[in-house]
Amino acid sequence: MISELLINAFLVTVMLAIAIALLKTRTVIFTVILTSAYSLVAALMFITLDAVDVAFTEASVGAGISTILFLAAMAYLPKKEEENFSNQFLPALSCIILGAILIWCSYDLPEIGLISSPIHQHIVPDYILGSRNDIGIPNIVTSVLASYRGYDTFGETIVVFTAGVAVLVLLQNNKKNPKNTKSKINKIDKKVG
Amino acid sequence: MISSAMGIWNYCIVFILMMIGLFLVIGRKNFLKKIVGLTIFQTSVFLLYITFGKITGATPPILNEALDTVYSNPLPHVLILTAIVVGVATTALGLSLVLRINSEYGSIEEDDISAQDLVEYHDEIETSKEFNTKFIK
Repeated sequence: MISELLINAFLVTVMLAIAIALLKTRTVIFTVILTSAYSLVAALMFITLDAVDVAFTEASVGAGISTILFLAAMAYLPKKEEENFSNQFLPALSCIILGAILIWCSYDLPEIGLISSPIHQHIVPDYILGSRNDIGIPNIVTSVLASYRGYDTFGETIVVFTAGVAVLVLLQNNKKNPKNTKSKINKIDKKVG
Repeated sequence: MISSAMGIWNYCIVFILMMIGLFLVIGRKNFLKKIVGLTIFQTSVFLLYITFGKITGATPPILNEALDTVYSNPLPHVLILTAIVVGVATTALGLSLVLRINSEYGSIEEDDISAQDLVEYHDEIETSKEFNTKFIK
């Protein structure tokens, strides 16, 4: 049990290291690869937290498909991020204050792994019993996803469909228009100096 | 004692990860970095939910023959499964918006784009002034 928690603490620290590296890097390809690594470590973390379905979804969809999307988009985008240190203070300050409040509140959260936590009491025992007796699917996550909360999954499919249509509409007339851009940049140069 | 310390450690790091994601969204001017920040934020929220569903000594929620097995809570798993797929859909939508902005402005830096908008606005005002003076004369 202690070893499980140690593995958890180690993995979550690795995630923190990756996130800090993401804060520092300015190269787009490093950003994409680090995001993929972050998702993979999160998938490992989900396995140690008993969420096997979530782990393989995260590994395939979060680390796989979204990395492919990022790489595909990267081909058309500038390869370097511009360095600008203006106005970083206020966002950083607000994030630190919000984070401090959240961590302070986390002392009231139930301890990890207690069976007496409120989250385990309400409806979940019914789902577990019903999955065995009424639905007959051995994987409880599947039976909740497809049967008890089928409407949620239906809504999710609608969201994904809408996003797909929106992406198609957005990229329909996406041609590079360097002439227009160059004239704009020239205009800016004239105005600035 | 050790387990509660570990629990607090996990929660703390998850909240710090959330804040790093939020900082990438509001503090960085590069649009691609903003979307990466959203992904980081999302994944840390997933981690928080899955952490709530954990029961020490339990098995993953797949039924076996023994009737007295303790299973981890399957409900957060279901919610997060849905959220991961929706998250990838939003990432795709955001990336296509960034591509569209890049083909329109030739840049994905927020400062650059607002400067171009400002120049365009200025030009529009000047042309409308010229237009007015011509017709008034």
